[in-house]
Amino acid sequence: MVGRFPPSALVLGGLALALILVFMLLPLGVVVAASLTAGQFLTFPPQGLSFRWYGDVLASEAYLSSAWTSLKVATLVTIAATVIGTAAAIGLSRRRLPGRALLAGVFLSPLVLPSIIFGIGLLIVFSIWGNGPSLLALALGHTVLTMPYVVRTVAAVLADADPAIEEAARTMGAGPVDRLRFVVLPQAKGGILAGAFFAFNVSFDEAVIALFLRTPGVETLPMRIYGQLEFSPTPAVAAVSTLMILMTILVVVAIERSLGLRKVAT
Amino acid sequence: MTFLAIENVGKRFGHTTALDGVSLGIERGSFVALLGPSGCGKSTLLRIIAGLETPTFGRITVDGEDITRLPPERRRLAMMFQSYALLPHMTALENVRFPLRMQGREGAAEQRRRAMETLALVGLDHLAERLPREMSGGQQQRVALARAIIAEPRVLLLDEPLSNLDARLREDMQIELQALHRRLGLTTLFVTHDQEEALSLADRVVLLNQGRIDRDATADALYDDPGTAFAADFLGAANLVPVTVEATEDGHTAILEDGQRLQLASAPGPGPRQLVLRQEDITLADPSEPGLEATIEARIFLGTRVRYLVRLGDLRLRVLAPRHLQYPPGTPVRLQIDPANCRWSREGP
Repeated sequence: MVGRFPPSALVLGGLALALILVFMLLPLGVVVAASLTAGQFLTFPPQGLSFRWYGDVLASEAYLSSAWTSLKVATLVTIAATVIGTAAAIGLSRRRLPGRALLAGVFLSPLVLPSIIFGIGLLIVFSIWGNGPSLLALALGHTVLTMPYVVRTVAAVLADADPAIEEAARTMGAGPVDRLRFVVLPQAKGGILAGAFFAFNVSFDEAVIALFLRTPGVETLPMRIYGQLEFSPTPAVAAVSTLMILMTILVVVAIERSLGLRKVAT
Repeated sequence: MTFLAIENVGKRFGHTTALDGVSLGIERGSFVALLGPSGCGKSTLLRIIAGLETPTFGRITVDGEDITRLPPERRRLAMMFQSYALLPHMTALENVRFPLRMQGREGAAEQRRRAMETLALVGLDHLAERLPREMSGGQQQRVALARAIIAEPRVLLLDEPLSNLDARLREDMQIELQALHRRLGLTTLFVTHDQEEALSLADRVVLLNQGRIDRDATADALYDDPGTAFAADFLGAANLVPVTVEATEDGHTAILEDGQRLQLASAPGPGPRQLVLRQEDITLADPSEPGLEATIEARIFLGTRVRYLVRLGDLRLRVLAPRHLQYPPGTPVRLQIDPANCRWSREGP
């Protein structure tokens, strides 16, 4: 197929691809480079080479506790969003539900609704009926925000799966619970893991809802980084960002090793 | 005695009628084909029997028990799907074991032993630990077959059992299905759109057309005497010739639409009729011989025999002839028909 394009189109296409890659990777590269500076200020190019800011971050009570908060929230969110999203996707794609299209729209709406509005709404709701923002409130907000990713990935995998397998299981005497266990969940597995991965990642670096629901006790890592940048931008910000990039790469590698990325990407 | 009874079963999807009141009684241990073109309702009927579709009206009983409202998991029937529908993450052995596992009557070891035994029955015990994706289509189908028969179902349903196989595997599978049927005596019902598959496998062929039973007969009887215009056309074995029968001094004569006359041995009575002529019961002869005047349109070589398409008035007839006959297209010929081989359609003209 590629051979059919004229050389000029190939050159233009290559150029466009190069630009896309530059814009995707350059900011990351700048952050990584800036984190390695030996100087006092967040600058590029870095002045000298050192890991001192990494030491700084790892010794910082504030960074570690906000990382711990983020991890707790993201873990709760991953579990809740995966369970609810998977159940919703299975219901939507395998059962004849009345108002199916409407339900699908409702479950996917957080993807398109501005999260700032949702954040304000959550703040008001928890202030009126709860004891104000809390870790649980933030986890709840993130669950709503990330559940559509799970619904999407699980529904996509199930749409490709052969529905005759579940019918065959029925004729072999499998009731609803056995069919879920032996047919539908194995069919949905790739989508569930992909959705969980997205849910974790989105929650871990989400900043809008976290901004509205932040309290002195509940400060996530992105909020900590943001606050630091606002008041005293040190290269520690770059170092902690680099650590976040590394963590993401590690998760991707782990998924690739255990499953194969191709399964997750579909 | 009827074992599986389908009583006036109908199915409508919105405004389309897939099945229009079908009744059918199937004896214990018989091997029955549901034959018909796509959209005739045969797959819908199979799915209704399996419980995967609910009939709009009608009743289904097995061994006297009404199963119409029973969910598929409690019908104790087995179905082999066209796509095989093997559980992709389970080995051949685990797939075959699955129905026993769902019944939960024996321990795991006994279930595995029986699964292995059934795999051996279809000649696949050496591939027990393979996953479906590591097996060929033919092997996967054998696993599906083993899985369908392991739990001793009351009725075995097969959806297009040979359609996904190449010519040689089809023959193997055909022999295998017949041998299994003889050995286990399972009441078997299968769906196919392929008339050869139906005629070669089944004791009895039920021909469906537009949601109704068109013909229900043994394979031999159906081939010899299609009986209806649809059957004659769908089986491709016979020609339909509209004629007017007249009583004459020496019996009956059929007058064709183009005015040619054919002497008959017997006739259902005077009036407009449909004459059914099997393609091998028409003999081609040179124009100097007696017979109906016709012209060769095409000659199709079939190996041991030759099929001619012959123009007779406004009709096109199929004629099977020995391969040594050499009539090129355009040749005028005479068609000779033994009056004893004339059959009549059961329907009106």
